[in-house]
Amino acid sequence: MGTGLNPSYFIGLSAALFAIGMYGALSKRNIISVLISIELMLCAVNINLVAFNKFLTPDAFLGQIFAIFIITVAAAEVGLGLALIIAISRRRETNNLDDLNWLRW
Amino acid sequence: MTFPILTTTLLAPILAALIIVFLPKENDKLCKSVAAVGTGIALALSLYVYFGYDQSVGGLQWVDFGQPVPWIKDLGVTWYMAVDGLSLPMLLLTNLIGFTAVFASWNVTHRAKELMILLLVLIAGVMGTFIAQDLFIFLLFYEIVVIPIYIMVVIWGSSKRVTKEYAGMKLTIYLLMGSAFLLAGVIALFVNSVNITGIADMSFEGLAQVAFPEQLQIYLFALLLIGFGSLLSMWPFHSWSPDGYAGAPTAVSMIHAGILKKIGGYGLIRLAIVVLPLGARFWAPYMAVLGVIGVAYAAMGALAQKDLKYVVGYSSVSHMGYVLLGLASLGIIGINGAVAAMFAHGVMAALFFSMIGFIYERTHTRWIPDMGGLAHYTPKLAVGFMMAGMASLGLPGLITFIPEFTIFVETFKVFGLLAVIGIAGIIITALYVLRAAANTLFGPARPEFSHIKDLKGPEMVPLIVLGTVLVVGGILPSLLFDMIDSGVAPLLAHINDVLQIGGR
Amino acid sequence: MNIDFSLITTEIALAILGLAIFTLGLIIPRSARKGLGNIALLGLIIVLGIAVYSWPNQGETLGGMYIVDHFSSFFKIVGLVAAILVVFGFRRYVAANVGNYLEYYSTIVFATLGMIVMISAGDFITLYLGLELMTISFIVLVAFRSFDVKSLEAGIKYLLLAGMSSAVLLYGLSLVYGATGTILFAEVAQSIIDGSGGLLLIIGLVMLIAGLGFKVSAAPFHMWSPDVYEGAPTSVTAFLATGSKAASFAILIRVFVGSLTGIQEHWVMLVAVLAALSMLIGNLIAIPQTNIKRMLAYSSVAQAGYIMVGIVAASQSGVKGVMFYSFIYVFATMGAFTVVAAVYNKIKSDEIADYAGLAQRAPLAATVLLVCMLSMAGIPLLAGFVGKFYLFMAIVDGYMWLVLLGLIMSMVSVYYYLRVVLVMFRDDPVDPTPLKMETSVTITLLIALGVTVFLGIYPGPLSEIANTAAQSFFTP
Repeated sequence: MGTGLNPSYFIGLSAALFAIGMYGALSKRNIISVLISIELMLCAVNINLVAFNKFLTPDAFLGQIFAIFIITVAAAEVGLGLALIIAISRRRETNNLDDLNWLRW
Repeated sequence: MTFPILTTTLLAPILAALIIVFLPKENDKLCKSVAAVGTGIALALSLYVYFGYDQSVGGLQWVDFGQPVPWIKDLGVTWYMAVDGLSLPMLLLTNLIGFTAVFASWNVTHRAKELMILLLVLIAGVMGTFIAQDLFIFLLFYEIVVIPIYIMVVIWGSSKRVTKEYAGMKLTIYLLMGSAFLLAGVIALFVNSVNITGIADMSFEGLAQVAFPEQLQIYLFALLLIGFGSLLSMWPFHSWSPDGYAGAPTAVSMIHAGILKKIGGYGLIRLAIVVLPLGARFWAPYMAVLGVIGVAYAAMGALAQKDLKYVVGYSSVSHMGYVLLGLASLGIIGINGAVAAMFAHGVMAALFFSMIGFIYERTHTRWIPDMGGLAHYTPKLAVGFMMAGMASLGLPGLITFIPEFTIFVETFKVFGLLAVIGIAGIIITALYVLRAAANTLFGPARPEFSHIKDLKGPEMVPLIVLGTVLVVGGILPSLLFDMIDSGVAPLLAHINDVLQIGGR
Repeated sequence: MNIDFSLITTEIALAILGLAIFTLGLIIPRSARKGLGNIALLGLIIVLGIAVYSWPNQGETLGGMYIVDHFSSFFKIVGLVAAILVVFGFRRYVAANVGNYLEYYSTIVFATLGMIVMISAGDFITLYLGLELMTISFIVLVAFRSFDVKSLEAGIKYLLLAGMSSAVLLYGLSLVYGATGTILFAEVAQSIIDGSGGLLLIIGLVMLIAGLGFKVSAAPFHMWSPDVYEGAPTSVTAFLATGSKAASFAILIRVFVGSLTGIQEHWVMLVAVLAALSMLIGNLIAIPQTNIKRMLAYSSVAQAGYIMVGIVAASQSGVKGVMFYSFIYVFATMGAFTVVAAVYNKIKSDEIADYAGLAQRAPLAATVLLVCMLSMAGIPLLAGFVGKFYLFMAIVDGYMWLVLLGLIMSMVSVYYYLRVVLVMFRDDPVDPTPLKMETSVTITLLIALGVTVFLGIYPGPLSEIANTAAQSFFTP
């Protein structure tokens, strides 16, 4: 490749990012923090895809295209999430997951 | 194309149930009459089939539509309704008891319409298992009966020593657990038969021709034995039986003890022993041991009971032990005896439970120490009770004597000492039956029972019908035995062929 | 690249329907919007007609990204049938408890579109897009009763957990892409046969199972389903339990049985364990539930376990079993939830205790609930028995322990189903006035009852169709 980089750097980076995101999503109690953590996980996926694309199929832009789709869909999902958070905080003035106990968790 | 007389017999109660659905709830006499007509037609048809069967030819006869109708092609399932000398007594028994069970519940007024619908569905379900010559169709009917029984127990049952909810659930779960093992066995059986022959065929005849390896047979037979055994109340899977009968309403107890249990025995012969003879040979000694334990244990249990229904409940476990013993002999006389014993016990248990039901309706108790002297006020009821009791202890001249005798003849040859222990069970049977009868019916007349009325009108039907069968079957045993022999002999011949070829 | 539009007529028609409902709803006055339900129903029936009519069409389009075979057509029909029943059977419930016809019906149609796209996916991108279209529509639907905090809470929980599971799934997909260098299912399969594999692929595989296991609510990824099922409007719960689950199973089969067969030995045991866990956890936790929607949620976890058995088999008979079972499962579940919604309309309660005496107040509803639950438990003469027979038949060689466990657990399920039956049939009602059901509810109930009983007695035709479809999956 000539750049001196090899794919394992990217895999390592994305794995670390994914793990951080996963940890955040499971441990944070604030809904917005959880949403951000999920975004981190998706970022890790994107890094993976773009890096694999560069090293495996440099001629076809499969990974890049996939990554763009993910970014778009993730935006829609976050938009929906924020709308729900607003609706909930109007009724309960909270954005903490532990306060969501109308249903048995 | 012949007229599908067996399917018609099967549909008669279902049709009656459908008619009842549209009848007004308030008119329960009408509902009961329709149910009586439906089961009556089924009984008449099955009598016609029974006496129209050509014993000299043997084998499967009265095949609906002349041949099996393809049903589910990829499983090789066919709508194959036919009867042989093994199915016919069971079919007749089902309809005898079904018909009388309607009359045994004649006095039920609480939600009678629903009771009749469920009862008819139940009868049709049981009938289906006995006339289906296809394993899959057999299975369809086998489990369907469980749910109506549960509903009937929890609505019309009675709570004495255990609540009716407990009794119903125990009955249901035990039977379903058994059927889980049975189903696993059947699925494995079918898949292996396809692997061996390459053709999907679910008919009992077809499966019997498949040469399963011995190891597989032993393993599958165990699964089937657990499945059918828990329905037959084989020790140690018997404990649902007394509790269940005690909680159940009269009609359910009659059908359950009278015919449902017999599906277990019937299935053991038709499926387990005929299709898996090598497995049967391996497990036969264990079956015999379990049967004898059942006889002795349940007879002791019956001796200790003070509730009439528990006495009969334990006694039926004990009688099923004889059936298991007879089957385990794997000889023609023993199996003939076992089938005849199933028929005889069915009639006897149904009569017993219907009489207990009438006693309970009148005295509101089944507690033996609370009763006594009933024969003074209710002579007809006492006659029915005594007939059932005498049949239970195997009095010569009644239908139960010869089957039990033949079972002992054969098993003594095969198992020796075990059979002797089994025979000893008869003595205990005599003890608890006579004790129950004496303390309930005889003794000084009690004034608190002076208001109770004897059987009359429709209530006489169970006594007359079942009582007649008890006596006629005892005097003319050949009516029953020739039929059974014509069914069992070809099956046994097949088993012996296999055992000789596959034998060591 | 040639695009064969004839293969995607169903999808195009469905997209047009969704947009049409939306536009039409904006044009007509607010008071007339109630009629949108009928338009959606009519439109969905037409789309179903198109889907049935285009059954013979088979092929690939968009360069292999879109696969149309009998397998996908079958699941499309299942999804559309579920959508039709949801629109038809819950009209009264939606009018009384949900409102906002415009958004509700168009979102239902788009969720259906998402399922259908996902079912036909031939590569990871199409899979992801279909999956997210479905999931996002469902998040909206789950949180639709925005005045009800339970519904909102269910919505946010579904959003967060679905987002997390999508991320895990995507990470798995990216690793598979890294290991094989392609995103087309067919090429992935080829590449695995050619020897690519290694740790990346295995890790990717595990993440795929986790991500898709979430969608079908298989234990231990089922934690969302009881809460979401309870909080969501009942109509949405029904759709989530049927359409969404069936579509997710379709894609699970497409990915694992269709494309990852080469490394079967690595995932079959894992799926078998998940199936066993789902049966155990679903059935055992369902026992103490007092809310019928929660109970049905746990029972649907158990159902997912049974269906996964067919994937463990990874054979034609297994796939056929999954298809047969999914079809009958749709009707049984729809029947049960229609009863729940109809009863809720009258007595405003989902508690099992409040169903006392239902058999006397509404005999048809009680009978349908009984029959549907028993079908799920696999009692004979009902379709569920035949379905289980097909499923377990596929794995009896080699996985006898799973067969026994499955059969025993389905008998355990009878225990908690019968508790409902006990309340409905034994108890006398507190208020004996008969509950009058609307015609649409009655018809839906009769359909569910009829199909469940008919296929239980005479399953031949459906099993033959499923067989053809399963065949087309293995020999394109």
